[in-house]
Amino acid sequence: MLGGAQEKSKEPWKAGSSMKYILLDYVNESGWPELTREEQAHWLGVYRAYMEAMQKAGVLKSSGGLQQTAAATTVRIRSEKTQVLDGPYADSKEQLGGFHIIDVPDLDQALSWAARSPTALHGVVEVRPMHEGTFLTEGIEPYLKQE
Amino acid sequence: MQYMLMLYVDESGWPQLSKAEQEEGMAAYRAYTEALKQAGVYKSGSQLAPSAAAKTIRLAQQKQQVLDGPYADAKEQVGGYYLIETPDLETAMAWAARCPTVGHGVVEVRQLVR
Repeated sequence: MLGGAQEKSKEPWKAGSSMKYILLDYVNESGWPELTREEQAHWLGVYRAYMEAMQKAGVLKSSGGLQQTAAATTVRIRSEKTQVLDGPYADSKEQLGGFHIIDVPDLDQALSWAARSPTALHGVVEVRPMHEGTFLTEGIEPYLKQE
Repeated sequence: MQYMLMLYVDESGWPQLSKAEQEEGMAAYRAYTEALKQAGVYKSGSQLAPSAAAKTIRLAQQKQQVLDGPYADAKEQVGGYYLIETPDLETAMAWAARCPTVGHGVVEVRQLVR
């Protein structure tokens, strides 16, 4: 089974009884156009069912699909000059294609939902703990260096 | 149109800052978020826990593989994101250029599928 019992600690993203996790879907973009129309319909149905299951369980907070990385742009400022480049930041075998934000009590449950994701069948799901808007709505103290 | 601003930062830099520098950094992000909200373009946003806390999952030959760490092993790591709504890419890019991350990391702008 899924390992990694969540331990309580002072880390701010672990505070509170319910935790938010972002599930990042890394997929091979070049695969989609190669599917037949029937296969595409099948996968869209599978993703829809997955999202409905998360909604029914009351854990799904939001979801988003991203357009192809060819449409991505990166922005940085170096030596006071703004550099704008076409394409995504990371050049990897799979590309970030979408995300789901879920609210579950612990990491084990987040991992269980990740394991049910259709993306796990053909790509990779990355699970990251988060705490939405924390440093805006609450104190910043937990994030600062201890003195 | 909705755009996701993905903030790529070098996580190892943060602990090396002094408390005053960290406060300054937080204030810059807070001010930026407030500006997004006041302009009515802010949809959501969050800081992510360090990538060391990430896990990746895939199924290979019907077997579930769970690995520690993030998917991509890069110089900078995704440290947070903003979801914004703007009329076009140009406006989204202008907001990206105002994000404090561009001074020390990289902001990737991705349009969402409707």
